[in-house]
Amino acid sequence: MSAQEARTDTAPRKRVSRLLLAAAWLVPGLGHWLLGKRVRAAVFLLAIAASFVTGVLLEGEMGTPKAGHPFSWLATFACLGNGLLYLARMVWLNGLGGALGGIPFGLSGGGDPTAAGFAYGNTFLYTAGLMNLLVVLDVADIARGEKS
Amino acid sequence: MDHLFLMLWHALLVSVFFAFLWRSTTDGRRRLFLKTFLIMSVGSTLLGWLMFPFP
Repeated sequence: MSAQEARTDTAPRKRVSRLLLAAAWLVPGLGHWLLGKRVRAAVFLLAIAASFVTGVLLEGEMGTPKAGHPFSWLATFACLGNGLLYLARMVWLNGLGGALGGIPFGLSGGGDPTAAGFAYGNTFLYTAGLMNLLVVLDVADIARGEKS
Repeated sequence: MDHLFLMLWHALLVSVFFAFLWRSTTDGRRRLFLKTFLIMSVGSTLLGWLMFPFP
């Protein structure tokens, strides 16, 4: 098959609004809500927020980049998935000035490594962020018409 | 802190999440939820039990 034929066989992919994806990332479930998937939106919001709050209550640490610790970037990526929850927690822990001025290596992720629930808390926080990133991908699929 | 409760709570949240992410019918969601929840909770308990003799 020539390149020309391949182009004609493939239907043009529908573009997804970046604003919609940003909304889906910032507030868990908002993307689905805007697309009219209200039940799914409510379930995603509840599951992700519950996981996040559990992680915070268990003294888990939000992922922040640490110099010389490359895996800390993975933890940061996972926690950043929480959107507004992550940003609000960063401001809560560091103050607005500290949060902005501490990027990338001066941020405190909170948590208490001596707490019994520290490792569990981290797991809940990472899980919440990764679930929200999957939600954003789901919003993109629905908006493109690849999923109902 | 109850470790078993935390494990079940985590399994519940993740199972509900994936049931609604991957299935669109009520029946499909119920089946996927049960399957995921049971695999996570029973599987983890069994694994923990099997690891018990090891230091």
